[in-house]
Amino acid sequence: MRRVTQDLLIGAVFSALSGWLLKALLLGASTPSPAPTQPKAPEPTWPALTASPPKVASYTIAAKLDSEAHRVSGRETIHFVNRSSAPLRELWFHLYLNAFKNDKTLFLRSPFGAGRSGDKAKQYGYVDVKKLTVQGGDGQDLWAARDHHSPDDPDDETDIRVPLPNPLEPENELVLELEFEDQLPELVERTGFVGSYHFVGQWFPKLARLEPNGTFAHFSFHAQSEFYADFGDYDVSLDVPSAFRVGATGSRVRESHDKARTRLDYHAENVHDFAWTAWDKFESRSERIAGTAVQVLYPPHQARNAEAELASVRFALPHFNARYGAYPYPTLTLVHPPEAAANSGGMEYPTLITTGGPWYSTFGGGHFIDVVTTHELGHQWFYGLLASNEHTEPYLDEGFNSYAEAEALEARFGSGAVFDGFGLTVSSSALNRIFSAARGEDEKVNQGAADFATFRSLGALVYSRTATVLGTLARVYGDERFNHALGVYARKFRFRHPTTADFMSVMQSELDDHALTVLMQALSERATVDYLVREISNAPVSAAAGVFDGPNGREQKKPEAPHEANEYASRAVVYRHGTLQFPVEIELGFEDGTKQLRHWDGSGVTFNADNLGPSRLVSVNVDPTRRILLDDDRSNNWLSIPSSTASRVRERTLFAAQLLLGAFGP
Amino acid sequence: MSLAAESRAMRVSTSAAACVLLWMSRTVLALFASYPLLLAVRATSMTAGPEGDAVLFQPGSLMLLELLRLGGPSLFSAGEFALVLLGVFAILELIPLAMALDLLALPNRALRERLARAIQVFPRFLALGLLTLLLQAALLLASNLLTAAVKPVLASADERLQSLLPIALMGLGLMGCGWVGAVLDIARATVVTRTFDEVGARAAFAEAVNCLRQKPLRVLVGPYPSVAGSALAVLAATWFSARSVAVPSSSAALAFAFVTHQVAMLFSIAWRVRWLNAALELSAECD
Repeated sequence: MRRVTQDLLIGAVFSALSGWLLKALLLGASTPSPAPTQPKAPEPTWPALTASPPKVASYTIAAKLDSEAHRVSGRETIHFVNRSSAPLRELWFHLYLNAFKNDKTLFLRSPFGAGRSGDKAKQYGYVDVKKLTVQGGDGQDLWAARDHHSPDDPDDETDIRVPLPNPLEPENELVLELEFEDQLPELVERTGFVGSYHFVGQWFPKLARLEPNGTFAHFSFHAQSEFYADFGDYDVSLDVPSAFRVGATGSRVRESHDKARTRLDYHAENVHDFAWTAWDKFESRSERIAGTAVQVLYPPHQARNAEAELASVRFALPHFNARYGAYPYPTLTLVHPPEAAANSGGMEYPTLITTGGPWYSTFGGGHFIDVVTTHELGHQWFYGLLASNEHTEPYLDEGFNSYAEAEALEARFGSGAVFDGFGLTVSSSALNRIFSAARGEDEKVNQGAADFATFRSLGALVYSRTATVLGTLARVYGDERFNHALGVYARKFRFRHPTTADFMSVMQSELDDHALTVLMQALSERATVDYLVREISNAPVSAAAGVFDGPNGREQKKPEAPHEANEYASRAVVYRHGTLQFPVEIELGFEDGTKQLRHWDGSGVTFNADNLGPSRLVSVNVDPTRRILLDDDRSNNWLSIPSSTASRVRERTLFAAQLLLGAFGP
Repeated sequence: MSLAAESRAMRVSTSAAACVLLWMSRTVLALFASYPLLLAVRATSMTAGPEGDAVLFQPGSLMLLELLRLGGPSLFSAGEFALVLLGVFAILELIPLAMALDLLALPNRALRERLARAIQVFPRFLALGLLTLLLQAALLLASNLLTAAVKPVLASADERLQSLLPIALMGLGLMGCGWVGAVLDIARATVVTRTFDEVGARAAFAEAVNCLRQKPLRVLVGPYPSVAGSALAVLAATWFSARSVAVPSSSAALAFAFVTHQVAMLFSIAWRVRWLNAALELSAECD
C-alpha cells in the first residue's frame, strides 16, 4: 500500500507540474507582448474629416419577428433623393433574402465549396414584397410593374427593376412605402435561424446604390460577393418576444414592453445597411471604450471569449482611430454566435460585427478571437466608412482591411499575432505571404468578386495578396510613411465610395510614381517578383602578365608563380525575375567573417555585387531583412560556402523521433 | 558497506545502465528515422543561406511557413517514410527493451548472453505486442462507438458538454490502453525472468492478467509516475527550449536545446526503468 501511495503522490506532483507548464506554454502565451505602442496622435497633415455623407436613401422600418415560424413582417418607408446628374426612370431593388429561395438562384446554384461557408440551404428563405407605393401619389402599386426576375436570369429574384411612372429629376426626393414579409432560411451564410437564434441580415427591400451618372450599381447576390449601398439614416423598430435579447445596427433609443412582446427602436445615422440579431439565450457585457458604448452579446459559457473580444476592441479601436480617423458612431455591437450558427460569424455591418469561435478558442496559443474581432472591427473603416463597391472591387475593403488587421495585431502581439505557443510564433504577415505566394499568379487581384474562379482564389488574392502588397510597400517606404498614406486615403474618402482610381491617386501623391506603378502592376496585372542569386565567384588578383609596349620599348612580364593571393575579385550575380521592381539590400559575407551591404535599386534584371578585397566571398543574402514580402521564392535568395548542415533541424527532428518512439514504441 | 546498502547501490547502477542502454538505442534509431526529414528540409535550399537553418526558427515563422509551402509534398513524403521507419524501429526496440529487463533481473550476465537472450525472447515480445495492440485498438474503437452513440443525445446540450464528452471518452479509452500496456510490461518481465521453455507469450499474458487480479492497485497505479513523468519531461523541455531563443549565440542555443531535450529524454526513460523494476517485482510476487 505504501508503494501505491508513493506512486500516486509522485504521479500527482508530476501531473500538477505538467498542468502548470502546459498553462505557461499555451495560456501564458496569449498575453500580449509588453508595451504595445499606439500610433502617434493624428498629425496636422491629415485631411479634415467629413462629418456626414450626402444622404441618398434613408429607411424607416417597423418589423415584427415571429420566432416560431422564423418570419419577419415589415413596413418600410424609403426617403430617396436623386443625387445623380440625370433624371431617373427606374429604381433597382436588391431582394437578397431571395438568394435562399430555391436551389436555382444565382447564390445557391453556385458550385458549393466555392462559396464562403460551403453549406447548402436546409430550409429555404425569401422576401415577398406585398406593395410598393409613392407617398403622396395616386396609390398605384409600383411593384405590379416590376421585372419578375434579375436581369438575364429567370431563376433569380435578387435584383429587381421597378419602372417609375414619372422621371425623378436630380435633387428631387421620392418617398416610397413598402410592405414586405421575410421567411428566414435556416442559416446558410450570415442570415437565418438556428433553433431560437436569429441573425437577420440582407432582410429588407433595399435600393441599389445610385452612381453619380444616374445609373444604379445593381447586381444579383452571388455566393462570392458582398455588398454596395448608399449612405442614409435608419430608424428601425423591432418587435420581438420579450424573452429575446436583441443586438442591432445603431443606438437603441426607445424600449417598450407589453405582456409577451418587446418593441425596441433603433436609430443609426450615416450608415449603409442595417442588421440585427435576436436570441433568448444571449448573455451580454457592456463597456465604454474610446468614447464608444461597446456591447458584446455571447452564448452562455462564453464569457471568456467575450472578454477576449472586449480586450481586442480595447486595443484596436483606439489604434484604428489614430490610424484611419475617429470612429464616428456612438455604439458598437459585437455578436458572438453560438457554435451551431457559426456561419453567421465573422461578418461586418455598420456599427455591428459578428465574431465567432468555440468556447475553448482562447485556450491555446492561437489568437483566433483576436484575429476575427480585429478584422471585423477594421471593416468599420474599410467597408463602413469607405463604402467601396464590394462586388466589383472587393480588394478595396477586404484586402485593405486584412492589411489593417495584420498591422494592428502585430502592434499588439508582435511576431505572435496569429499563434504564440510552445515557443513557436506565427505572424499575420507571414501567413498572408504564404497564401499570397501560393496563388499570386492565378488571377488578378483587382477584379469583381463573382469573376474569381473559386472563393479560395478570392480569399488568397483579395485578402492575403492585397495585404502582402501593402505590407511590402510599408516595408519598402517605411511603416510610418505608408501608414500615413493609407490614413490620408481613409480620411479623405470617409463617407464616400472610393474606387481604385481614388486610392491610386492618394498613393501617388503621398508616396511616389513608383508606388503607383507597383500597385497597378501587382493588383491589376498579376505582376510578380523573385530575387535570386545563382553563383559566387572569387578570382585571385595578381599582377598582369604578357607583352606590353611602353615608352621604354617592349616589355615582357611573366605570370607570377602560384602563391596564396593577397586580394580577390569577388562577384555574386543577383537576378530579378518578374516585372515588379523593388530596391533591395544584398548582404555579402566574407571568409574573414566581415559583412558588407550592397544596394540595388531593382532596375534591370541582373546586378553584379562585386568586391575587391583580401578575403573570399563566401555568402550572399538578398533582402536579408525580408522587406520584400512579395518575393515569390525565398529559398533562392541566398548562397553560402559551405552550405549549412541544418543542425537545428537535425536536433529537433531527432527529439521528435525520440518522443514518437517513446510514445508508440515499447 | 551493509548488504542492504550494497544491494541498493547495485540496483541503482543496473537501473542507470538500463537507462543508458534504452536511451542509446532510442537515440540511434531516432537518428535514422529522422534522417529522411532532414534530407527533405535540406533539399529545399531553405537552409542554404549564411544563417543556415536558424532562419526557420525566427519569430513570426515567415521562413518556416515558406519551407512548408515550397517543400510541402517532399516533406510530407519524407514524413511518411520516417513514420514507416519509426514503426519498424519500434519493433526493433523490443531487443534493447528485453536486454534492459534482463539487466534489471540478472545484473551479472555477460553482454553477449544478454543479447542472445533478448533475441531469443524477441518473437514472444512481438506476439505480446500484437496481442496488446489488438486490445488497445478494441478499447479505442469502443470509446469511438460510445462517442458516436452519445452525440445525438448531446445535440441540444450545452456547447461545452458537446465538445468535452467525446474528449473525456477518448481519455478513458487512452487510460485503458495505458493499463493494457502495464499488463504487457508485467508479461514481458515474466517472459524474461523464466526459462525459455517455462512460459510462452499467451501464458505470460495470462499470468500478468492474473497479477492484475491479485494486485490491481499496484498494477494500475504503478505506471502513473512513468506516464506523468514523461509528460512533464516533454513539457519542461519545450518550456526551456522555448526560452533558448533568448540565448544570444546560435551554437549555444543549439547546445542548450540539445542538452535540454536529452535530459528530458533520460528523465522520461529513468521513470520507465523504475516501472520496469516494479513490473519485475510484480511478476515475481504473482508467480
